Amino acid sequence: MTLVVGVDIGNSTTEACAAEIGEDGLITYLAGALARTTGVKGTTENVAGVVEVVRDALAAAGRAPADLDTILINEATPVISGLAMETITETIITESTMIGHNPDTPGGAGLGVGTTVSLGELPGRAPGSPVICVVGAGVDYERAAGDINAATARGVPVTGAIVHGDDANLIANRLRRPIPVVDEVTLVEKVPLGMPAAVEVAEPGRTIRTLSNSYGIATVFQLDPEQTRMIAPVARALVGNRSAVVVRTPTGDITDRRIPAGSLTLIGETARRVVKVDAGAEEIMATLRGVRPLADAAGEPGTHVGGMFARVRDTMSELTAMPVGEVRIKDVLAVDTFVPQRVTGGLAGEFALENAVALAAMVRTSRGPMERLAARLRAELGVRVLIGGVEADMAVLGALTTPGVGRPVAILDLGGGSTDAAVTTARGQVESVHLAGAGDLVTSLIDSELGLENPGLAEEIKKFPLAKAESFFHIRMEDGTARFFDEPLPPDAFARVLVLTDTGMHPIPTRHTMEKIRQVRRAAKERVFVVNALRALEQVAPRGNVRQIGFVVVLGGSALDFEIPDMIAQAVAEFGIVSGTGNIRGTEGPRNAVATGLVAHYTAARTAEEPAHALG
Amino acid sequence: MLSGDLHDRRADREKRTRPTVVVRYRPVPANRRCLRELGAGLEEEGVPFRAEPVGEDSTARELAYGAALASDLDVGVGVDAAGNTCVHHAKLPPEVPALAGPPSAARGMGHNAARLVVGIPFKTIDQ
Repeated sequence: MTLVVGVDIGNSTTEACAAEIGEDGLITYLAGALARTTGVKGTTENVAGVVEVVRDALAAAGRAPADLDTILINEATPVISGLAMETITETIITESTMIGHNPDTPGGAGLGVGTTVSLGELPGRAPGSPVICVVGAGVDYERAAGDINAATARGVPVTGAIVHGDDANLIANRLRRPIPVVDEVTLVEKVPLGMPAAVEVAEPGRTIRTLSNSYGIATVFQLDPEQTRMIAPVARALVGNRSAVVVRTPTGDITDRRIPAGSLTLIGETARRVVKVDAGAEEIMATLRGVRPLADAAGEPGTHVGGMFARVRDTMSELTAMPVGEVRIKDVLAVDTFVPQRVTGGLAGEFALENAVALAAMVRTSRGPMERLAARLRAELGVRVLIGGVEADMAVLGALTTPGVGRPVAILDLGGGSTDAAVTTARGQVESVHLAGAGDLVTSLIDSELGLENPGLAEEIKKFPLAKAESFFHIRMEDGTARFFDEPLPPDAFARVLVLTDTGMHPIPTRHTMEKIRQVRRAAKERVFVVNALRALEQVAPRGNVRQIGFVVVLGGSALDFEIPDMIAQAVAEFGIVSGTGNIRGTEGPRNAVATGLVAHYTAARTAEEPAHALG
Repeated sequence: MLSGDLHDRRADREKRTRPTVVVRYRPVPANRRCLRELGAGLEEEGVPFRAEPVGEDSTARELAYGAALASDLDVGVGVDAAGNTCVHHAKLPPEVPALAGPPSAARGMGHNAARLVVGIPFKTIDQ
């Protein structure tokens, strides 16, 4: 009997599988263990994590460390991935033409048109032409309402109001003649005075009709066709709001500017193409397909993408002592996304959804300092350390221990930094591919699309289902079922969307609905994992034909996700393939494939070398 | 018998006041401003309330819980002699109020008492 431990050093976790190999080559699997990878995969920093996981696996197996014969480690090559986000559009309001935020409680209802006048100037205003009153910061609602009533009584028709504080209803309720009031305009002092303006507030539950319609604005301000063409973007920006203000200034405008985001150079083995990042993800990916297999890529210096590529190269060169010039970008994934951004020139903190392109890149070397790592391990643990076969081959061997899996089999390893795939043919040859873009990119998409600026929370939204707190004692889950509690929920959770993590419920401090957050989460997973799964299978499949693969086993940390495996199964269903989450050795789930494969590979090699033993 | 029952219930309903948030406060002069701010917060959110002065000396939390029990909307606000405010819900345990704040937070407490009724997330209170 020989006691061995197979150790798989991954990007984020280090996994071990302890087993005993009999003289007849029969493997008895004893236990598995898991720890965080210390340092970057494939470097000597990994030693601490490996020592921990070997100790844990032996303890779980009930074996003494002294009995350990051999540690088998995988040929772990460092894979480093980088992420960058390039915003490619920008909304700019010039001359404070409009206010298009959505205050919780605007006051009154209807449309008011007139010249903008500050509250202080109201008493000096001559009767006659209608005015829109602008109420600055710190003015009490009683005084504002009193002054407006006094002006109206004097024959100065006040037809609408723009207010700094959260006072709209308080003012509207005290007016003798009802007018629309838009409040919470934080930069109210920047509203241009003496200009024609229109204020519109819709009834609760409705949206504005006049100011969101180009011809509505044209009617209000008596615009000619040329001027109407100019004002059209304002109308478009106000669609869907419950309240709005439009001020007619001489050259006021709202523009949708495209930001030059630089270009990306994709160098294939035979071709070299340049693509503009602001052309969008589809264009970038089409160009990439045109030059595949990718030999290297470069981003324009001074752009986010250029910076990201430089960062990835530098990190890899530091780790492997390779000159920066020799580090090659092996894959790029581009995803179209949108980012809520504060509108430049906005008066009330308006946000606009801007287009952006997210990019993931990956570098990989075959020259990992594995020998140094093995020597350090030998010194630390005092046992034989063998560097086993190629990672992909080992993963395939491990995957084959899943009950019900047969050849030809493909594995999809969904990790944090990269998506890997390998396929084995009936003759036992293994083809593998490593693609950029995985769990970390999904987290980053969720973070930016929801405007969270909190990667920790985005990570939780990715991993756990949502619910909404409907009272202090019950929550409604995503699928409509309710759950009740004996203890009241904390006040900061009240009426909020919550993410149900394994450490408790965490409120999501945004105004997004549960449906919206769910949709963003699922779309991010689709755009990264489903796209990459198909891209990977296409590249490893015999003659590029995915139908030739019989079985797909989904492995890796992201295979534990509650919806990703289902999405992938659905996406490959049309190819007539059996696809599912792996269950290594029938017990480990999608984990431990490489560690198990190492033990199986070592045993097979030993038995082949010593046929006499195997027979005896 | 049946019709009698119906009649009684209708009469009952007429006697009842319209559903409001109940605000119970210690009637000291300093609380005038606090009450005005509380009321402004509730009014801005469009939720009706009624204010009741209370004679005995109680904490804001005790006043708020009593007020919540008296409210048809199950939401009450208490204001103690120092102007501290507390928002309570009748379904919560008496010792666990929904929110509590100093006199300077009165406007925000009014907003949030209303939001407790309407069922939308609380406003961050700037004091």
